[in-house]
Amino acid sequence: MTEKEINDFEKIQAQLESLHSEISTLTKKSSNDALNKFKLKFVNQTISEANKILGKKYKPFNDFDKFDDNDLPSNSDVTMMLGQYLNCMEKLRGDNVNRNSYSNTWYWLIDGKESTIKTAPPQKIQNK
Amino acid sequence: MAIIRPRLNDYHNLPFRQEDVDFAIPFLDEDIPLYVDPFLLWKIKSQQDNALHTSIVNSFNQLGHLFVKGNESDAKAILTELTECNEAGLGSSKTRQGKKIGDKTADEILSLFKSIPQINKQGFQHFEEIQLLIDNISKDRISDITCSFIKSFLIDFTIDQCQKMGIPIERCNVSLYDYKTNKIKSEETYLPVNPENKQPIILIPKRWLRFVPWINYDDYFESYYIKDVDKTYDGKLNRVQILNFNRNNYDLVHTYISLKEKNNQELTNDPLFSQIPIVSSKRKLKSALGLPTGKTNNADKEYEDLMVQLMSSLLYPHLDFAKEQSRTDSGTQIRDLIFYNNRSYDFLKDIYDVYESKQLVIELKNVKEVEREHINQINRYLSEQFGRFGIIFTRNKPPKSIFQNTVDLWAGQRRCILILDDSDLQLMCEVYESKQRHPIEVIKRKYIEFTRSCPA
Repeated sequence: MTEKEINDFEKIQAQLESLHSEISTLTKKSSNDALNKFKLKFVNQTISEANKILGKKYKPFNDFDKFDDNDLPSNSDVTMMLGQYLNCMEKLRGDNVNRNSYSNTWYWLIDGKESTIKTAPPQKIQNK
Repeated sequence: MAIIRPRLNDYHNLPFRQEDVDFAIPFLDEDIPLYVDPFLLWKIKSQQDNALHTSIVNSFNQLGHLFVKGNESDAKAILTELTECNEAGLGSSKTRQGKKIGDKTADEILSLFKSIPQINKQGFQHFEEIQLLIDNISKDRISDITCSFIKSFLIDFTIDQCQKMGIPIERCNVSLYDYKTNKIKSEETYLPVNPENKQPIILIPKRWLRFVPWINYDDYFESYYIKDVDKTYDGKLNRVQILNFNRNNYDLVHTYISLKEKNNQELTNDPLFSQIPIVSSKRKLKSALGLPTGKTNNADKEYEDLMVQLMSSLLYPHLDFAKEQSRTDSGTQIRDLIFYNNRSYDFLKDIYDVYESKQLVIELKNVKEVEREHINQINRYLSEQFGRFGIIFTRNKPPKSIFQNTVDLWAGQRRCILILDDSDLQLMCEVYESKQRHPIEVIKRKYIEFTRSCPA
């Protein structure tokens, strides 16, 4: 990954997390209700950006690019898909970070080499 | 063109909705069941409307003056002429034709100017008081007299609205009350014309319409007469006796009118259609979902009743409701729900363009499983006015073979029949409540799903 890609990644991941948390709240209230056009527009924009970052290798589903507004996706549909994207983003991050053995700090890898950009430990390690 | 319950704009193929216009869209073969309430003209904060109210009351009092002065036959003739305004098309007539009052009633009304000293001296403040003084006078007469007195203004309003909305107007003759000479005269003007009987049509502002006038006999009797006048009412007096009483005790009527003037905060015009509240839609949905399929305990009737109320509200304002349980010309078949297709939404415009759907028919089937015969039934309705698009609302998802049947029908005859079920109804109610989407989008979704399944 390049420095720009890391920047974009962090922005989109934060946006996905925020959307996921917002729409999860709506899902708890009314899971089958349709998401409104305004929100769906921004969900789709964020997902399209995430698709670019993830590429074919990390994209959650080959036949899903974004939601079709005409299908009236429900809150739970959107929450589920955002959850998938967050996990795949995390997988991409996990594959592109490294722990510095001296400082015990995690850094992004740029072109396979440890950079100076700090990051959090991968979730699967955090969860252990 | 055999449109069900045709409206003026449907005939001229003008796709505006009732919500989009300032006037009540007239039906061509029946009256609009609302009435002009002169009290609204008095109340509305508009100098124009207030001035019109003043001119109505002045003209009415002028007739009384004429009567008192001795021109009794002239006054009665004018009043009789004013008591029907067929051009307005308001009331409960199924033919848009009303009858004028007789000579006796005209005499009774105008005699009030002689028999009641207060009226003789200062005239009426609100002429609809005559409902409380004379038998056989009610909201329809009040509404027609009001429209007749201000017909000249209404003609101008109609021409203006027709120009705005593109409604064709034709040269025609109408009789109208001349404010200056206090006479009825015939005038040549331009108005929309009912294509079925060539009668001129006058459009009425929505803001003046109510189901019942603010001053009316029932309200007077229930909320004033029993409460304040005859506290020990034993239920023996009939209407005529009370009217006699009112004539002899005009001060009491006057007090009632003053009270109504004071308490006018609640007075508003009645909408031509009002959606059911969300709580009610939820209750109706629950009842509909809880019904058994089939005809057990009249479940099919109940399902239809609930669906009529739900669908007309859920699809408003995108679709104006036309009629329930409409019979075909031969009278042998009944189509359950019919809506005017106002092309107010991209999907509705689509089905108008592609399937020539001028009116949307929804067939309700409270059955466990939709069968081929049900598809054939709706297919038979899809004639000229409905175009080639129809909807079946049923309880469960149709079997694959039935869905395939609808796709084949499209492939063979380019007819589109959508089948919606309880889950779609639930979603429609859910979005009706949350306001996140329009319920019509659920039908659009079904339509898009259907078109995706059709052969390329």
